[in-house]
Amino acid sequence: MWLLAALARLQPAAEAQAEDESSLRRLAFGDQAAAASLYDRHARPLYSLILRILGNETEAEDVLQDVFAQAFRDASRYDARRGAVAAWLLTIARSRALDRLRARRTRVEARTGEMQMLDEMPDAQPDAASTMLDEERSRLVRQALGELPMLQRIAIELAYYEGLSHSEIAERLEQPLGTVKTRIRLGLLKLRDALTEGLA
Amino acid sequence: MSTHEELKANAAGYVLGSLDPEERRAFESHLAGCAECAQEVASLRPVVGALATAVPQVTPRAELRHRILSNAAAGRRTDSHIHDRKSPAALTWLALAAAIIIAVGASVYAVRLQRQMGELQARFDQAQATTAVLAAPDLARIDLQGQPVAPDARARALWSRSRGLVFTAANLPPAPAGKAYQVWVVTAQAPISAGLLTPDSSGVGTQYYMTPVDIAPPVAVAVTLEPSGGVSAPTGERYLVGMP
Repeated sequence: MWLLAALARLQPAAEAQAEDESSLRRLAFGDQAAAASLYDRHARPLYSLILRILGNETEAEDVLQDVFAQAFRDASRYDARRGAVAAWLLTIARSRALDRLRARRTRVEARTGEMQMLDEMPDAQPDAASTMLDEERSRLVRQALGELPMLQRIAIELAYYEGLSHSEIAERLEQPLGTVKTRIRLGLLKLRDALTEGLA
Repeated sequence: MSTHEELKANAAGYVLGSLDPEERRAFESHLAGCAECAQEVASLRPVVGALATAVPQVTPRAELRHRILSNAAAGRRTDSHIHDRKSPAALTWLALAAAIIIAVGASVYAVRLQRQMGELQARFDQAQATTAVLAAPDLARIDLQGQPVAPDARARALWSRSRGLVFTAANLPPAPAGKAYQVWVVTAQAPISAGLLTPDSSGVGTQYYMTPVDIAPPVAVAVTLEPSGGVSAPTGERYLVGMP
């Protein structure tokens, strides 16, 4: 109950969504101020997700740029029936970041023994002065994730943030495919219950 | 032909995008005609959406905003990328003043949040580091065998030069008072301490350790019993040893 209540308090969802939709409509008509307001509302969570996936600021900046370019270009194709604007943008961001990660993985595999990864760890510190709501929301979901059994959580993280498939995860964890599927499903269901507890 | 139950087990993977291509196609065609699976997919979408926000929040550099928005204004595809890094002096006095005002308001909140974050962050960092090691392209596995003093003990070291070491041990006897288990990465030159390992009451312990990227190739990984707090070179009895 507390988690959902806390999330609800943080996110005046309907209002944010209405503003986003209006920005996208205006963008489709070439209103550049709409681009700025969309950027200001979403750049931070999008960048954070991309940076988590790629672990490299320069690449994360490139990908963020691509994500907004795509969003501005496809503004008129956004369909509210398929989800909130924030979720739409995060989906684009994740997919673009994972594309980049896979491309890099292929490159790294081709050059064994490279030590480039360590140089690529992010050195950015979360900026306490900016959006506190993102911080708080993020903390709440992380807390729910932190309460999952370790193997469920690792399997979900390998799938979501590293873009590995079920069979790749099974191989990494040396577990049967069925076990991995079950862990991922149980973990997500548990997370769902934690996030929606008290709704009924 | 897969059963409904088998297909339903793929709903979570479908939403996460982690199904293999054939699995995804099979699930999609099942989904079209199965209300129960459609319902499960719909209920899991927001959960996966929440994962997107469960990451440390970082503000992108201010310069990036300008670049992205001016590209949008120019109506061209943004394929030129920024690699230069401007100093904070590039901030205008106005932006600086605004930043200070926001910072003052945020500081009280930030101090409180910082305290709450501390413990959570530590746990989160461990899990995130573990995930990173498991996904590392240069992952190496070293299995360790229990030594005569603890023949049932087993352990596995997952090591990536670039990302560090994840060590999991099972069946370790409880460390006596004043003693602790210490994990060693043994190179041709010397054993290097990875850190201490504290198994739970069932003898199981999992720990992430950072290792120097320029470490010489390990010839073995070992666990010894040492004075609590650890030592700089192994002195105590060997409990687990494994070679790549």
